[in-house]
Amino acid sequence: MDVGTADFAVSCTGTLETGTRALQKEQQLNRFLAEVERRALRIAEIAVRDRDEALDLVQDAMIKLARNYSERGRDEWTPLFYRILQNGVRDWHRRQAVRNRVMVWFRKKPTEDNDYDAIAAAPDPAGRAPDEELANSEAMQSLEEAIRDLPARQREAFMLRTFEGLDVAGTAIAMGCSQGSVKTHYSRAVHTLRDRLEEHRPGSSGPVEG
Amino acid sequence: MKRSDEDFGRQAKEAFDASVDKLDAATLSKLNRGRQAALAELGKPAAQWSRWMPATGVAAAALVAVMVLQAPAPVDEVPTSVTDMEILLGEDSIEMLEELEFYSWIDTVELEGDVG
Repeated sequence: MDVGTADFAVSCTGTLETGTRALQKEQQLNRFLAEVERRALRIAEIAVRDRDEALDLVQDAMIKLARNYSERGRDEWTPLFYRILQNGVRDWHRRQAVRNRVMVWFRKKPTEDNDYDAIAAAPDPAGRAPDEELANSEAMQSLEEAIRDLPARQREAFMLRTFEGLDVAGTAIAMGCSQGSVKTHYSRAVHTLRDRLEEHRPGSSGPVEG
Repeated sequence: MKRSDEDFGRQAKEAFDASVDKLDAATLSKLNRGRQAALAELGKPAAQWSRWMPATGVAAAALVAVMVLQAPAPVDEVPTSVTDMEILLGEDSIEMLEELEFYSWIDTVELEGDVG
């Protein structure tokens, strides 16, 4: 084999290895995202109360993870992904607040004779898809409502620890705070939720003394 | 009897997992499309939005900034003006600012829908 052929062979081998590594990375990331996306969607949906908005937030988090952190180790992806997602949720709430302030300039005041329409305000049972109905079992609905009423940091700590199963260290990375803060937020969240939901528990006679 | 924290967490997780399992096909399809879009980003350099930010976005940001600074704040919302500016000038807000008329129209339609 002459020198030129040898160089070409080395070049091809290098290109092949690079391509193989890239393919492996893509497959690894694909598996990770497929594993986490559905739970992430529900967590985001509980936080923003809107599935389409939650889908956007999850997709945005997936794109940012792929773009900025794909070279990190697999064990780092989960807390990083949720940190991006939680930041997205917080930004979403802030944008909503600003948007409401901006819209003050454009909003028309409703006329007095049309202040309230009971029929228009009533929920439309036909507007809900059967799948949505099924997903909202009574227990989960009560839990979601209680979670939404938690302070934001407690809500984050509870969902990341309980629903996603992150440990304290991973939750701290995802929330961008200390492990001590995670423990405090989580503990308060669990006690608040447990006390509030005790009355919905089958066989429970109502709120229980502490 | 009151549940332990551990029992409560386990039951909450079971309820959550059940709701995850019941996600509909259309939602799963959207998630899959989002994942493919993310995978397509592999190897691309990070976007530098400031290079591509349209001039109209800047002009709209300036206009809206004035409006926000002078808008009466609802009692239950107390974000600072500085925070508002950060959000308004943020990457994700440019799209909203460029479509301000659209959002205004949506608001009008919603109000008319409420009273109609």
